[in-house]
Amino acid sequence: MQPILKFNNVSKHYPNGVHALRGVSLDVKQGEFISIIGPSGSGKSTLLRAINRLIPISGGEVLLDGEVISKQRGKSLRRQRRKVGMIFQNYNLVYSLSVVQNVLHGRLGYMSGIKGVFGIYSEEDKQKALDLLKEMGLEQFSYNRASDLSGGQKQRVGIARAIMQEPKLLLCDEPIASLDPSSAKTIMELLHDMTQKRNISCMVNLHQLDVALKYSTRIIGLSKGEVVFDGPPEKLTDEMIEKIYGTSRDNLMIGGNADEKADTADCA
Amino acid sequence: MSVNSKENILVLNSPKNKPKRIPVKCKQTNRFIPVFLIGVVVLSVLSLVYLEIDWIKMFSRIPQIGEVFWDLGHLDFANIDLIFTSLIETISIAVLSLLYSLILGIIFGMFAARNVFNIPFLSVITQSFFTFLRAVPTPVWVLLMLVCLGMGPQAGVAGLCVHTTAFFTKSFAQSFESIPDETIEALEVTGANKLTVFTNAILPAAVSQIVAWAGMRLETNFSECAILGMVGAGGIGFVISNSLQGYDYGTAGVAILLVFIVAYCIERIFVRIKKKFA
Amino acid sequence: MKKRIPLIAHDLKRLYTAFIITALVLFVVCSFLTEFNVMTLIANSDAFWEFITEDFFPPALPKTSRIPGVLSSVLVTLALAMSSTAIAAVLAFFTALFGSEKVSPFPRFAKVVRGFATFLRNIPALVWAFILFSSLGIGTGVGFVALCITSFAFMVRAFVETMEDVSQDCVESLQAVGATFPQRVSQAILPSCLSGFLSWFLYCVEVNIRASTIVGMVGGGGVGLTLFSYIKSFQYDIAFSIILLIAVMVIAVDQITGKLRKEILK
Repeated sequence: MQPILKFNNVSKHYPNGVHALRGVSLDVKQGEFISIIGPSGSGKSTLLRAINRLIPISGGEVLLDGEVISKQRGKSLRRQRRKVGMIFQNYNLVYSLSVVQNVLHGRLGYMSGIKGVFGIYSEEDKQKALDLLKEMGLEQFSYNRASDLSGGQKQRVGIARAIMQEPKLLLCDEPIASLDPSSAKTIMELLHDMTQKRNISCMVNLHQLDVALKYSTRIIGLSKGEVVFDGPPEKLTDEMIEKIYGTSRDNLMIGGNADEKADTADCA
Repeated sequence: MSVNSKENILVLNSPKNKPKRIPVKCKQTNRFIPVFLIGVVVLSVLSLVYLEIDWIKMFSRIPQIGEVFWDLGHLDFANIDLIFTSLIETISIAVLSLLYSLILGIIFGMFAARNVFNIPFLSVITQSFFTFLRAVPTPVWVLLMLVCLGMGPQAGVAGLCVHTTAFFTKSFAQSFESIPDETIEALEVTGANKLTVFTNAILPAAVSQIVAWAGMRLETNFSECAILGMVGAGGIGFVISNSLQGYDYGTAGVAILLVFIVAYCIERIFVRIKKKFA
Repeated sequence: MKKRIPLIAHDLKRLYTAFIITALVLFVVCSFLTEFNVMTLIANSDAFWEFITEDFFPPALPKTSRIPGVLSSVLVTLALAMSSTAIAAVLAFFTALFGSEKVSPFPRFAKVVRGFATFLRNIPALVWAFILFSSLGIGTGVGFVALCITSFAFMVRAFVETMEDVSQDCVESLQAVGATFPQRVSQAILPSCLSGFLSWFLYCVEVNIRASTIVGMVGGGGVGLTLFSYIKSFQYDIAFSIILLIAVMVIAVDQITGKLRKEILK
């Protein structure tokens, strides 16, 4: 089977001299649930953003669905982008709009010029958005302003928006870093169920090792921009963890929180 | 004000004559403020000297101000129909120019904001052009429009539009730029083009600010509009200046009172609306 | 036919619809009243364009003998704005102290003070100028007073708001300590509100630079009067260079006040 996503020796260095990715090569097949783990600044976020070209890469190539995305521009880039859904740590909703409107934003990539500009959605799409919200357990909030929702609910809207795109691949950039433990669990389960049900591949950046172990079918460990581990969760030994994080597993469990905060600051 | 600045300087100089005083103010007080205050005082005194205002003559005529106000107070409602139609005309000019400028301002604001199209060249060009338009006071534009379009409210609308659009372009661009880049990113990854992202994310997020700016501008536009008549663009200003020059103080009094009432009402209404939106 | 699925809540939709309808009605009514039509403007655009290119371009300099006069008129405008704002600011500061219920020693009169300021503020500067012209005669002094009145009224409101925002708590605590009114002002209000006051003062200078140009046009002197006389004598190309001069002056002042404001709020 052809892989959905293929990284060929991809590298990225920023003008300030930081090498975020060094010669990364990997394949993603349909239906995989991949967690990307690694310490702050190991290039996790860059890896995800290289896929839909939010960050242009400096070397190698990224193939999405058999087409090179790293060289595309304009309309063809937008067409490629709509195959990839993305979920953000800070939800990034438009808070002054209703929940349904936010979910429907997922359809914008499919709409022709004028309809997209004025946000005139087809009845089909609207019905689909409502059904999706029902599936997420948010139907009673459909017409609330997005700003009225709690963090976990906002993230669910974010997921709904991404699913509305009918993507082949879902990218999640720290989806649970700003959530409390119980919301985090709901979100991870929802992500897992939705993607498995629809046979969407999912790539999740995670800080929480235990979460990664619990949900993933495959784990990629990044350290200083290089892939140091790539395999099923069972094979992730304590030794390997130490190699990825540069510290032992025990330290990680206690220090996890502090690390998370540091990374959030980095992102901002 | 000058007394206060001296006090601050004493505190700042206190390290020199250290033994006596115990400093109570924190050390990082803004050292710039006293310098600024002195600068203002010096400049104002120089300005007053330069202006060579004949103060004695002015003061000797103060009783006449009282007389004028006394005359203005004798409201004369004989010309109320004329006053009323010109007041309506003035309000119409203000509202119409506001509406046109709102649309133009959103369009040009879109070009002027750096995060909508991501073409720095375009934003810089738009912004500097409108900075120029904004820098020239409205009545000048109205005067020019009067020359181009002839006397009447048309010139008023067109002239007011120039300045209002320039104002809106700058402030809307600012509001658009205050939307976090991540939100725009989130819509871009759905494959939407820039214009779609603008209308679906940036514009709705900025609506409450746009309403606030529009309210603020309606106030200014009304008072500018009242002025316009004085340079010849019709409306209530024409009535005021005409009747003042013709010593018809009663009519002028009514007109000024109406201007005040309308301006006050607009201010009150928008204070309400702002509270509702906040 | 199936009912269409709404995108936003029902009451919100009603609000928006009402808003848009009001705007449309206003638009139609006002267009009718002022007989302003974009179409005629566009239809006449070539005449318009001709006028701009023929009469305004290229901007021409006034006679060499007149140039010093023009430059000194710019100085008059600047001086007018600067001095009137400064005087108005001092007066407004003391008035504002009595305009805030929380600060004033006579809270009952606070409303009266504010009402007075509102009255002064809502009458445009040019109207004040006209009233004063008819009592004091034409001249720079009248322009000065007219600018003073409006900027005074504006700053009273701005200062009162600043005081209510910033110093409520510290005024209360000093009141609890038993401080007198002047003590409260110098120890609580001034330190906490000074930078806010000055920022408003700078804003007022910006506004007054424009206003003094306008007041000048009707007889207050300064660059406004110069411009007006060139326009009246149909020397549009010279008028255009004066407009450019005014724009440069205003932009320069805006830049300077912007820098100063940053320093003050640091």
